[in-house]
Amino acid sequence: MKHPTAFVAAASAWALGGWLVADAAFAADNGFWARYDSGAISGLGARNIGSATMSGRVSAVSAVREKNGKVTIYVGAASGGVWKSTDNGTTFKPVFDRQPVQSIGAIAIDPNHHDTVWVGTGESWMRNSVSVGNGVYKTTDGGETWQYMGLPDSEHVAKIAIDPRDGNTVYACVPGKLWSDSPDRGLYKTSDGGRSWSLVLKGGNLSTGCSGLSLDPKNPNVLFAAMWDFRRKGWTFRSGGESPTAKSDSGLFRSADGGRTWTEITPAANSGFPEKPYGRIAVTIAPSNPEIVYAFVESPHSALFRSDDGGRTWSRRDNSQNMVWRPFYFANLIVDPVDPDRLFKPDLTLIASTDGGRTFSQVGGGAHGDFHDVWIDPADPRYVIAGDDGGLWYSHDGGNKWWKANNLPISQFYHVSVDDDDPYHVYGGLQDNSDWVGDSEYPGGITNSRWENMFGGDGFWVFADPSDKNYLYAESQGGFLGRINRHTHQIQLIQPQAGYREKLRYNWNTPIALSPHDPNALYIGAQFLFKSDDHGRTWQRISPDLTTNNPEQQKQEESGGVTVDNSYAEMHDTIYSISESPKQAGLIWVGTDDGNLQLTRDGGRHWSNVVGNIPGLPRGEWVSWVQASPFDAGTAYVAFDRHSYGDMRPYIYKTTDYGRSWSALVTPGNDKGLRGFVHVIKPDIVDPNLLFAGTEFGLWISPDDGGHWARYKGGDFPEVPVRDLVVQPRTSDLVVATHGRGIWIIDDITPLRHLTPAVLDTDVAFLPTRPVVQRIEAFGGWPEGDASFTGPNPPDGAVITYYQKSRHLFGKLNLEIYDGNGRLIDTLPGNVRRGIARVTWNMHMPPPRVPPAAAVAGNSTQGPRVVPGVYTVKLVSGDKSCEQKLDVGLDPRDPFTLADRKAQFDAAMKVSDLFGRMTDLAYRIVAVRDGAQARAAQVKDDPALQKQLNALSGNADAIRKQIVATKEGGAITGEEREREYLDDVYGAINGYEGAPTDYQLARVDAIAREMGDTADAFEKLRNGDLARVNAALKAKGLQEIAVPDKAPADDGGAPGGGGMRGRDRDAGFERE
Amino acid sequence: MHARMGLFAVLLGFALSAHAVTADELVAKNIAARGGMEKMAAIKTLRMQGQLIFGGNFKLAYTQLLKRPDKVREEASLQGLTQVQAWDGHRGWSIQPFGGRRDPVPMSADEAKALAEEADFDGALVDAKAKGNVVTYLGTEDVDGTNAYKLQVKLKDGNTLVVYLDPDAYLPIREIAQRTVNGVQQVTQTDYGDYERVDGVYFPFAVSSGPKGGTPDSRMQVSIDKAEANVPVEDAVFAFPARAATKQGSKP
Repeated sequence: MKHPTAFVAAASAWALGGWLVADAAFAADNGFWARYDSGAISGLGARNIGSATMSGRVSAVSAVREKNGKVTIYVGAASGGVWKSTDNGTTFKPVFDRQPVQSIGAIAIDPNHHDTVWVGTGESWMRNSVSVGNGVYKTTDGGETWQYMGLPDSEHVAKIAIDPRDGNTVYACVPGKLWSDSPDRGLYKTSDGGRSWSLVLKGGNLSTGCSGLSLDPKNPNVLFAAMWDFRRKGWTFRSGGESPTAKSDSGLFRSADGGRTWTEITPAANSGFPEKPYGRIAVTIAPSNPEIVYAFVESPHSALFRSDDGGRTWSRRDNSQNMVWRPFYFANLIVDPVDPDRLFKPDLTLIASTDGGRTFSQVGGGAHGDFHDVWIDPADPRYVIAGDDGGLWYSHDGGNKWWKANNLPISQFYHVSVDDDDPYHVYGGLQDNSDWVGDSEYPGGITNSRWENMFGGDGFWVFADPSDKNYLYAESQGGFLGRINRHTHQIQLIQPQAGYREKLRYNWNTPIALSPHDPNALYIGAQFLFKSDDHGRTWQRISPDLTTNNPEQQKQEESGGVTVDNSYAEMHDTIYSISESPKQAGLIWVGTDDGNLQLTRDGGRHWSNVVGNIPGLPRGEWVSWVQASPFDAGTAYVAFDRHSYGDMRPYIYKTTDYGRSWSALVTPGNDKGLRGFVHVIKPDIVDPNLLFAGTEFGLWISPDDGGHWARYKGGDFPEVPVRDLVVQPRTSDLVVATHGRGIWIIDDITPLRHLTPAVLDTDVAFLPTRPVVQRIEAFGGWPEGDASFTGPNPPDGAVITYYQKSRHLFGKLNLEIYDGNGRLIDTLPGNVRRGIARVTWNMHMPPPRVPPAAAVAGNSTQGPRVVPGVYTVKLVSGDKSCEQKLDVGLDPRDPFTLADRKAQFDAAMKVSDLFGRMTDLAYRIVAVRDGAQARAAQVKDDPALQKQLNALSGNADAIRKQIVATKEGGAITGEEREREYLDDVYGAINGYEGAPTDYQLARVDAIAREMGDTADAFEKLRNGDLARVNAALKAKGLQEIAVPDKAPADDGGAPGGGGMRGRDRDAGFERE
Repeated sequence: MHARMGLFAVLLGFALSAHAVTADELVAKNIAARGGMEKMAAIKTLRMQGQLIFGGNFKLAYTQLLKRPDKVREEASLQGLTQVQAWDGHRGWSIQPFGGRRDPVPMSADEAKALAEEADFDGALVDAKAKGNVVTYLGTEDVDGTNAYKLQVKLKDGNTLVVYLDPDAYLPIREIAQRTVNGVQQVTQTDYGDYERVDGVYFPFAVSSGPKGGTPDSRMQVSIDKAEANVPVEDAVFAFPARAATKQGSKP
């Protein structure tokens, strides 16, 4: 049974006031942390504030036109899951969020059963920041549920092809692991719907997998598969061999028997095909004429090739810059389903040919650029959908002009920071999408337009300048650092420059850091650490080369393999993480990408490399994050990221003695549930035991300094890469930067700071929250349609938080709110979920009792907002209860005083009282009207009395019509009576929480006088006509017409209003 | 609004055995947990009253009337005006009085489907085959920290429900409804709690529903204060009102 049993414990704990200081160590020793899990913490919801304005990299697009003419679209995000639209892109929903990986490489829709969709995880556009997958998934119900179909060690999937004759025959083109040798790569085939796979084409070495695949739709036994020899290391990359002319196992292969046997396409056997070595190859068969085959071949003479005889012979076609640009990142060809001479090559910009590949035009138009995939509608080839580094795009003119999808919040943040504004702003930089500042809340919601671009390039670290609110710091790849005026957007570039015959090595994701001790100070790391005390006007080099300075890892000019590619992405032997201790100025930790962990305690005069003190850690591991403790100068946390060696597992360590010794918090041997390589490790800024870790597969939280961890799943937070996070000090919000799903805010983590073993073992207990303030209630924004993303605001009200050990299932669970006088003012349904549970109280009094009329009086549906002060919240279930105080304050932004606020409340309550009196009066009048009408029907034998009664009823109703508007019909009647006038002035007073104006109060008095006149008229009727009628009724022995004093309380106990519920519910209509 | 789900009774004091669970077993456990078919069948009508909170701010008095086998009427009142929606077993209709009109209007067939599904007195899991519903067990899934049994119900009307059963009590704790309205899929998430017995059968007294993934402002919460079984309810209560007895504007 799940009946709550231990409310008493929490209640008595409250009475003692000591339940939060229970003996945690004792509890921990007794295993009480066993209750600490995802369910316990995920009731702290998260809100995704996007943005979809910059969106993020789309790696795969697949769509199909349905019988009803609609186009179903599936979008594969590079690291943000699968999104589906069934309304031509007006709305999308993420359909892959419950799967353990979110990087998408390929999507294939079964041509015969559109609800069957295959997804290959692990993007194949093998940039330095590419995420990883874990195999192939299938849905047979349009994405509602997914089955894992295996290939667990594939890591990346480039293409999936489904045999149109048999949906159980599927090919998966697997490039395989990027960072390490692996036999699990090549072309896989299943003939049983994915239950079993066979490797039908494998590479000649452990670094060659499948990068391109095309299946002849008319003879599906014919396939072309491109094999790719590739490898990435932290400091270099090769597409093909180690150099443009070095041996490579890349090649193009053809099968005519469903993959059983393969023939390599070679220049010797297939005239016109280029000479080896090759890098990445893209291949596609023209659907409308399978004899026509296109292949882009990366080689020392990269170009597009075309065969008109099914691959036997080839001719060289376009080799323009956009055809051959960065083949590892752009290797895809999409041929018009109808016209075999029309094809697209996604590239830096999108290029298109209409002459069979002889010439190409740039057609990217106003889209972002860095295209990866294209879908062409077979029914209307002018309709084109494309995905690039900036999201998803639609063209209705054949791919010339583009319409941006503004509803895909798949943005790939690298870092995040916040300022101390109210509301605070969120800053962050993104993959190929610059550096932005956005709102954490805004009236009407955080629309795309509430984000503003501040820089350019790929974006990384962004900080508000703590010394001058007019400026911020932002950077693009390679430490390209600027100080930017946020109003004029004027940029001053302030990157430290190299000295004589010197090269500064700035990482792709170069760290910059603010000093917690000096608002004018700024750090940036190349191989040296630089510090500026004057916003970047001057720099001091405060370290020697802190890296291993290994010349073998500094040959980036040779990087790229067949095609040189030296973009800072492989810059190595660099500083990657910087953290100055908040407890001690000049104590600075620096981590490098080549495995050094350096510490200075004197502002850079002396440095020591302490990485060797970490037991069991191999040398050379990438320091992904080092974080000085905000609580103790000798304490720091460090995370190592070994994924560039093919090791995707987590490593987190802690020191408390300035790096002399280290304890392992998370290691592969004891991962404590963490999954994926670690990007960020940070302690809370209040509770030293509360740790946050972001990995490639999500967010984990530890309540006990790394002893136990739980994955955070609140707000349906997916298993998406978490690159950075920050706690906003004033709000205690945890702001999380995901690389694939934008920014998420967990509002107020205060409850986590109090989730002790003792609390976890309590059946029900309140948890402390941040101070409750009455945020300004305001309107903003404007309808943007359904095709635009809007991030939600924090809850509008007092967020009450409690913990319950198990889900509440039986019996009432309510929250009662009492004012300072112990008066019950509101009752709310409880939140039944297990673990931390939240309920929002809107902090409003009950709405006024309002007499029924033709339509609802809109303003009066809301009660006045309570006055700031101390309230009591009581959690009640049956005869069990516990309570806590709720101290409610004004919004610091309010331009008025508490006295003003009280004046407003009193005025609103006065109007509310007037409404109540009006309701009672209307009720009395209706009693007379209806009573007279009813009796008139009883005295047909007495025409005079009947006439009297009818007149009385009519006169009563005439008075009522002075009180309320009565013209029905649903039109804008413009009819206003006392009720409507009062509603107007109530809205004016209630809508602004400062003191009401004199003229508003005068208006209330005027309406009150008018109401008095109306009441007098009724009293006159009552003492005159009614008295006479009652006397006549009495004389006839009939029941007199009684006049009730007040309208009765509504049945149902809820504010139905007016005391007329039941009398007037759909009155006036007879039934069939 | 999907205020009702159906019905429950004693808890079974044991978990399902280790063998592969079937949909039929789970439905049987669910029926037993609700109170058993006999007690469920004994309830011919049901009236539930409480309040409806919309978006955390608007509170309305709420009543739901159900009558076997397939009739439902829901009312929500504000300032003396009562919004009504009903399904009489064949068609749905509503009265939307808050904007000044109190004449009933028929609901579109798509809109009425949700109401019709709600009118299924014992819920979609019971007698599924006879009703043309197909129930499939989809394994377990985390529902806010509770590892719940997941049952998919493909309804005869073309819509789909996914019902999550508490792993100990076998009572629904969540339901995801996918309905096609005007050719567009709408997905609604409904959470259930506060189960209480009415004539020996468990009913959820707390029901929170809204668009799946929607903001808290988009959710409706029904909190039931009073429930009565077998109250006399005429069929006419569910039927489309034929004509106005009085002219518009004459009442209140």
